[in-house]
Amino acid sequence: MIAIFFRNFFRDLVRQPLRTALTLSGVVWGTFSVVLLLAFGDSVSKAQIKRFHGMGQGIVLVFPARTTLPWQGFLRGKAVRITPEEVESIPGKVPGIELISPEFVGSRLIRFGRREYRNTVRGVNPQFELMRNTIAARGRFLDPEDMAGRKRVCFIGNVLASDLFGTDEPVGRTILVDSVPFTVIGVMMTKLQSSNYNGQRDERCAFIPWTTYASLYGSKYVSNFIFRPIDASRSKAAMEDIKGLLAKLLGFSPADPDALGVWDTLEFEKQFTTFFLAFTIFLGVIGTFTLLVGGVGVASIMRVVVDERTREIGVKLAVGARRRTILWQFFSESLAIMLLGGLAGFGLAAAVLQALRALPQSGSGDLGFTGFVGLPVLNPLVVVSTIFILLVIGVAAGLIPARTAASTDPIEALRK
Amino acid sequence: MIELDGITKVYRTGSQSLEALRGISLGIGKGEFVSIMGPSGSGKSTLMNIVGCLDTPTSGSYVLDGDKVAGLTFDELAAVRGRKIGFVFQNFNLLPYATAWENIELPLLFDGKNGRRRRERVSELLNAVGLYDWRDHRPTELSGGQQQRIALARALANDPPILLADEPTGNLDSRSGEEIMAILIDLWRGGRTIVMVTHNDHIAARSERVIRLFDGQVVD
Repeated sequence: MIAIFFRNFFRDLVRQPLRTALTLSGVVWGTFSVVLLLAFGDSVSKAQIKRFHGMGQGIVLVFPARTTLPWQGFLRGKAVRITPEEVESIPGKVPGIELISPEFVGSRLIRFGRREYRNTVRGVNPQFELMRNTIAARGRFLDPEDMAGRKRVCFIGNVLASDLFGTDEPVGRTILVDSVPFTVIGVMMTKLQSSNYNGQRDERCAFIPWTTYASLYGSKYVSNFIFRPIDASRSKAAMEDIKGLLAKLLGFSPADPDALGVWDTLEFEKQFTTFFLAFTIFLGVIGTFTLLVGGVGVASIMRVVVDERTREIGVKLAVGARRRTILWQFFSESLAIMLLGGLAGFGLAAAVLQALRALPQSGSGDLGFTGFVGLPVLNPLVVVSTIFILLVIGVAAGLIPARTAASTDPIEALRK
Repeated sequence: MIELDGITKVYRTGSQSLEALRGISLGIGKGEFVSIMGPSGSGKSTLMNIVGCLDTPTSGSYVLDGDKVAGLTFDELAAVRGRKIGFVFQNFNLLPYATAWENIELPLLFDGKNGRRRRERVSELLNAVGLYDWRDHRPTELSGGQQQRIALARALANDPPILLADEPTGNLDSRSGEEIMAILIDLWRGGRTIVMVTHNDHIAARSERVIRLFDGQVVD
């Protein structure tokens, strides 16, 4: 029975080659569009989130500001000031903090030999590395011993490293930061970073122990601090706890909305992710409309086919075919056209994606076009969504003409 | 075999209604060869469609081979058609893109017979109508007489007790028509009930009984 179906199906396809080709091309093109647009949307989303993660993953940034409510005799406008010791004592008093680091930020003159740059210097602690993804490509990041000994060591961004040393090995060399000698202990791994705060991106920064920074420059209060909650979903609650603690410690109203500036990247990322999901869905919808046009093509061609074959349907009904049988015949034929076209569209899209991959990448690696758009691939999400869309449209495109066929009046059909 | 009682059929188009059959009662016994005659518009085709379970009467009762047929759904009627009734049409109504073999196989497919039984039965029928060597030909490659023989073989595929022939010789030359009539008479002698619509008195004379219709009623 199935063999007979396929024999008849291919006979029908071959009987009208031009019509078949035109019908198929709509479906092929539609599927191709859905796959490519979804893959593209997905890869752009992923590339953007990767770039966003360049600043850090799951972290909350806190910037001490000024009070905006009077509190305990102080007028509003009092500066909120936090020492690094106070920052590092927070995990002992507030539960659920995985990592925390104070941060001093300043612009300093950095020199090696005759090369001199004014770059951002950050005074931080070793926990900074994991929070902000400043991973060492060569050498190492700061360690507790550097902190305790207030050592004059620095970890530098990859761009700063090549600015100062060219292709030479930077680790172990001594550079001058505002005329004070520092030993380079590590160079940061190249990363994509789309977001930043206070000063230059990490690739141009020098990172030194905050203990060294405080004693060298006489800084008492941090520019900001960053922390990562153990449970990402509890970032808001942890921030509330920290705020309550600092309000008591530093003397500002716990209800003061702006005494501490907070950048919760987790919250931000949620919105960011939602935005890109909407973006991908939007592209998918555009692709779906294209495929819908292909489906309409199949449905209307099948209407013509049904019309042409009215007599055949009449004969079949007369010799004992049920309406169900006729419905199934035309439905499966339309669906088979859709699936055949879909398969070809998939193949075409896969070939294009493969070709894209083989293309020489423009721009400087990750930072060029592909860094922004990513590399679109046929991932399961794309495949499953496309098959789902294809089936929904295929069923609709098949059912409409098939129902017309099945409702043929055999008497009328035989009289034709 | 066929018992019609007070069958009426009314077609309604808008406010107009046309009474195609006005109370037809007749019985056709098992193994009878009956001709139905009458001028155009007398209701012959409508009667054939109702007898053939392609159409349902507006009122009246129809008992086919002991089963009440009136009131069955379309798909229930399809099963009755497939098993109990074989159709032969004036214009053959073979599927143009299918071979002789595939045309004959059709009712067997719809009846859900398996591949081996279908092959056996189709070969048997092709031999019976003497066209086994033509099995892979399409209808357009066959003469009118050959086409009607294939159509007859198709009508007999599920071995139905009743054969309904609507002007079976109408589109054929006299020699081919004679061949078809010979087969029909053979089938009748073999115990099949045959109901035939015709305009041709000469052809009708070959049957046992003639039922004449006029204006939706049996006249004698």
